[in-house]
Amino acid sequence: MIAAEEARPPRARVVVEAERCKGCDLCVVVCPQRNLHLATGFNRGGYHPAVFRYHGDRGDCTACGLCYWVCPDFAITEVARLVP
Amino acid sequence: MSAVLRYETKLGELPTLTGTPTHYCAGCEHGTLTRLLASAVDARGARERAVLVSSVGCSVLAHEYLNLDAVQAPHGRAPAVMAGIKRVRPDLLVFGVQGDGDAVSIGLLELMNAANRGEPISIFLVNNAIYGMTGGQMAPTTPPGMVTTTTPAGRDVASTGRPIDATKLLLGLEGPSYIRRVFLPVAPTSSPDTFNARGALEGEAAIRHAFETQERGGFSFVEFVSTCWVNWKVSILESKRYAARVLAPLFPPGLYRDRFGVEGR
Amino acid sequence: MSDPPEFLKGNEALAYGALRAGLTAFYGYPITPSSEIPETLAAAFGRPSYPRFRVFLQAASELEAINLAIGSAATGARTMTATSGPGFSLKQEGISYAAAMELPLLIVNVNRAGPGLGNLGPEQSDYFQATRGGGHGGYRTIVLAPDSVAEMARMPSLAFALAFRYRTPVIVLADAFLGQLKEDLELPEVAAEAVETPWAVTGALGRERHVLASIHLELADQNRHSRHLQEKFATIGRLEQRAEDVATDDADVVIVAYGICARIARAAVVALRDRGCKVGLLRPISLAPFPRDRIDDLVLSGVRRFLVLELNHGQMVDDVQLAVAGRAEVRSVTEVGGLLPSMAALGAAVESMSDRPASFVDAEEVDA
Ligand SMILES: Cc1ncc(C[n+]2csc(CCOP(=O)(O)OP(=O)(O)O)c2C)c(N)n1
Ligand code: SF4
Ligand code: SF4
Ligand code: SF4
Ligand SMILES: [Mg+2]
Repeated sequence: MIAAEEARPPRARVVVEAERCKGCDLCVVVCPQRNLHLATGFNRGGYHPAVFRYHGDRGDCTACGLCYWVCPDFAITEVARLVP
Repeated sequence: MSAVLRYETKLGELPTLTGTPTHYCAGCEHGTLTRLLASAVDARGARERAVLVSSVGCSVLAHEYLNLDAVQAPHGRAPAVMAGIKRVRPDLLVFGVQGDGDAVSIGLLELMNAANRGEPISIFLVNNAIYGMTGGQMAPTTPPGMVTTTTPAGRDVASTGRPIDATKLLLGLEGPSYIRRVFLPVAPTSSPDTFNARGALEGEAAIRHAFETQERGGFSFVEFVSTCWVNWKVSILESKRYAARVLAPLFPPGLYRDRFGVEGR
Repeated sequence: MSDPPEFLKGNEALAYGALRAGLTAFYGYPITPSSEIPETLAAAFGRPSYPRFRVFLQAASELEAINLAIGSAATGARTMTATSGPGFSLKQEGISYAAAMELPLLIVNVNRAGPGLGNLGPEQSDYFQATRGGGHGGYRTIVLAPDSVAEMARMPSLAFALAFRYRTPVIVLADAFLGQLKEDLELPEVAAEAVETPWAVTGALGRERHVLASIHLELADQNRHSRHLQEKFATIGRLEQRAEDVATDDADVVIVAYGICARIARAAVVALRDRGCKVGLLRPISLAPFPRDRIDDLVLSGVRRFLVLELNHGQMVDDVQLAVAGRAEVRSVTEVGGLLPSMAALGAAVESMSDRPASFVDAEEVDA
């Protein structure tokens, strides 16, 4: 199962610029697949920055962009899709 | 051996954002709106002919974040400054961000008269029902009963009046061509830890429509129902729930006027 | 009606002068005794003789007017607003912002009488408000004072030139008398060369963006900006003092007066000289910067007595005293409430100071 998933390349990518993030949680709570969570560690601003993973709690990232649109700090700098 | 994977950017950097870190509190709609504005300006290809007017309130440094020619207006006077720019330079896309104290209290005269004259400008109002920048005093939009630093026992409408609905005030004038109210915060859903992002998407579209209206010669106004968790003294997510519970019914979102039918296109 | 007529009220002349100086945008709110300025401009709006005059708008208040003006000035357009005392007070917020953002902007104040609503007569009681900045935060503006209808017509051209040269608001301080007075005049030729405005907000097309903001949250930034403004006004103070001398060469008493008072003083100088009294007139044309160098010259050339005539409780007299710096006697003759000082009172005051008084009025009596 894990091996099969790993074999398939991620179809979407979200880039979080951790140093910009203020750990507000908005991207976390709007992501339908739960692909983002706040790190336990801190960034230099003293915030727990959001971390992206392709395989979310409820599914894989679909590059829907909701996290990008709600982020008040433009910390989500890119939402990209795999070119098939 | 692995093949090189190619990703295409769906959403990325915007030329109209400077990249300067904002002074906004975490989770504040002032920040969200900034990206929406940048996106709508870039979608129009208008970065080099747009002029931003920032007002006094938490939006006072909007020009630090939007990579545009900009003028910073005195408290409440942004609509007049915008109109003064637009009247001599009708070729420019002129817009401004105002707070509810700025636009609906000290600057009501400037807002109403610019609207009444149908000045072809776009005004984006961040209504967080409080004076954010000065530390949480009562605003004209503060809901009845809300505790602020100047209404420690809750807003008493018998003494301070009821909240002013800027959208409805403008609706009483013939001048405006486009009036919309958007609920901008992430909104709670039936699942307790899940929120939707409809407001941001709607907001970006509303800004585009406001710009389209302006460039057809009309006055456009979008009120963004927003939050200010720091001064409401609740958690970020609780502020979104409060906004949905209390502000949304008080300031119902929706399209109130679209004289040119820009939303139908 | 001829276009333009040449027997005009001061306010009308100023309006035509502004048009001939290339006025692009005007915003105003009606207030006596300045209303002929917007009225004249409204009538001229759209006439082919003034193609550069593209915006005329009656604002909803003086606050709105000055902020509309700020917007237009920010684009580099020649912009003017006009008012009288109560409206001038309302404009102060905007003037402070315009000074901070270094906007060239012409503000006309046709000074009426008294604090509050006062009355519609002439006074010069807004002298301090105009010459000390008037709004908050520490800044100065250039203040120009015409004394005839013809000079009302010439002032806008000078005011715009200075406003753009130094990127500053410029105030033309007239009084109710000058605004309403009708005189023959020759209107100035249309001049208005194009000026460079490399700082203007016009959309950042193919260049770095321009931001006009008055907020400097870093203390060091505000410190730098405030010092820059101070230095600019120090430069203006050195280079832009303007004054007219009337018979000061051999004078032992020099009257200092501007605006309508200078008209009265001019007549008094002629009458008193006829009686052998060596009196002259220094007429400040720029109230800010105050022509202190001219006062200094007069002191150095031996003038020992100055008489300051003004329509207020004594304001410009402070500037004269600062320039004189104790080296000569300075006396103040004032009138308020919209009344003008009488020639007799002025003559008596001069003669009481003069070495060779012609003494036609008891000087002590006038002094008391
Ligand atoms: C003439 C003037 N009065 C008062 C202030 C202080 N002040 C700054 S921002 C503000 C209110 C801001 O509230 P709002 O417009 O709702 O903006 P927010 O910060 O909530 O977005 C006030 C009263 C000022 N700068 N200028
Ligand atoms: S793009 Fe959509 S699915 Fe992917 S992380 Fe963002 S919100 Fe979640
Ligand atoms: S929305 Fe932006 S600032 Fe907030 S946690 Fe996510 S990435 Fe960080
Ligand atoms: S004070 Fe309130 S409105 Fe201002 S940035 Fe903070 S949360 Fe936003
Ligand atoms: Mg507010």
